[in-house]
Amino acid sequence: MTRDELKDAISNKFKDRVTHLEAGKYDPLFEVKADDLVDICQQLKDDPELSFDYLANLGGVDTTEHFEVVYNLASVHKKLRVDLKVILPYDQAEIDSVIEIWPAANWYEREMWELYGINVRNHPNLSRFLLPDDWDQGFPMRKDWDAPDFIRMPER
Amino acid sequence: MALRTEEFVVNMGPHHPSTHGVCRLVLTLDGERVKKVEPVIGYLHRSIEKICENRTYPQCIPMFDRIEYVTSMSCNQVFAMAAERLAEIEVPERAEYLRVIMLELNRIASHLLFYGVTAMDIGAYTPFLYGLRERELIIDLFEMTCGQRLTYNYIRIGGVSHDIPPEFVPKCREAMRIIGQKMADYEGLLNENPIWLARTKDIGILRAEDAIAWGVSGPVLRASGVKHDLRKDDPYSIYDRFDFEIPVQKNGDTFDRYIQRLDEIRESIKIVNQALNGLEGVEDDKIKAKVSPNFKPPAGEAYARIENSRGELGTYLISDGTKKPLRVKTRGGSYNQLQALPLMCHDVLVADLVAIFATLDVIMPEVDR
Repeated sequence: MTRDELKDAISNKFKDRVTHLEAGKYDPLFEVKADDLVDICQQLKDDPELSFDYLANLGGVDTTEHFEVVYNLASVHKKLRVDLKVILPYDQAEIDSVIEIWPAANWYEREMWELYGINVRNHPNLSRFLLPDDWDQGFPMRKDWDAPDFIRMPER
Repeated sequence: MALRTEEFVVNMGPHHPSTHGVCRLVLTLDGERVKKVEPVIGYLHRSIEKICENRTYPQCIPMFDRIEYVTSMSCNQVFAMAAERLAEIEVPERAEYLRVIMLELNRIASHLLFYGVTAMDIGAYTPFLYGLRERELIIDLFEMTCGQRLTYNYIRIGGVSHDIPPEFVPKCREAMRIIGQKMADYEGLLNENPIWLARTKDIGILRAEDAIAWGVSGPVLRASGVKHDLRKDDPYSIYDRFDFEIPVQKNGDTFDRYIQRLDEIRESIKIVNQALNGLEGVEDDKIKAKVSPNFKPPAGEAYARIENSRGELGTYLISDGTKKPLRVKTRGGSYNQLQALPLMCHDVLVADLVAIFATLDVIMPEVDR
């Protein structure tokens, strides 16, 4: 299946529940609503033609306008790749866990929770992970966070 | 009188010789048996992803060297590939050949190091000397090309930084010949050694479906019997021009994970030899596409993934059209392999846990970033 065929297959399968984004330069990129995420992920995994059984990567993004969560999915047997993106406003930074679908999401979601402060519902173990146990300085990957000893150089 | 027994908790690491860096394993033990293992990470977290957000694109490449220093060529490659996908840069053919040669040499060097340290963790010292002796040949080749022995900063956006010196090709062929010959020595030391077999056969089995679900990739996944290699399944660079096999094993135990690496060294030697032949046929000696130091890819996002010696190394790069990336997210094979460690350590001995951990070939800086 080529990239364009995959794009059409997913667009036809989910109709207006997914929005294709032109920002994806290489593999197809779709925007998904936060409430719909788990259901769409489950169907992407269960569909025999797509069978996205492999969560390659998961990460938060702070665009200075809102949060985004990006899921890089792959299919080991069908050799496909697709990206999903969920947009979260700053005041509702909360998303459902996909551990039930891909257990690999466990550490990725924990990392996102810790570094971005995006809450993950139904996650079994949201506890200190990469940062020191006594960390109390907020969420370091957010764009408005600078290290205390960091001096921003003026833009040229 | 019956003695009272109870489980107890032991911290293995963060400073333990067999955790390859600073990884802490919290073990719940029943005598010598491991009942539960919980990896605790973060001791090497340098926040490379955050630092990259304050660097220009070319400045990110030396940062990527430090994500996984054992195969830093592939870290250079994955970042360069993601940036090239964003900006749709065409890489010159000679640079593609040089990249493949360096990536495969780096894979061989990494697997030789694996061979040495794994055997040493399990208690055999000689393989360590053998593995590092031949690794030295490859490190010399890298030093000859880019002046560095560990963090190369060689593969750049749009190409590579230097062309190879004239003596590189004969020395590289000689190194491949020597390593190819020594493979019999490596296998002869361990493959039929009864102590080695007792320590590795049927220990720490990882089933194929678990491996996929937990995002395990690379040699560990293939040792569990899944024929998945991004060089074939999602070909990048010019890997589709070479003729090589994807070795797979059946059982997914510690022995299979060890033998899988040795099989892969053989295939990598094949690729290097073919690439050296192919390089002679390239007439154009351009090694880098024109990329401005103020490189500004158009706004967009791209995920690049390559097969490095620890599995799928991927980078998700988001550009907002300025000269600094908006977001750089990296995933390395070690992260998922370590996450899946508890699956393999069901009721094993503590000594076997060391063997299992060694054959996962985890590199802690890649886990913590």
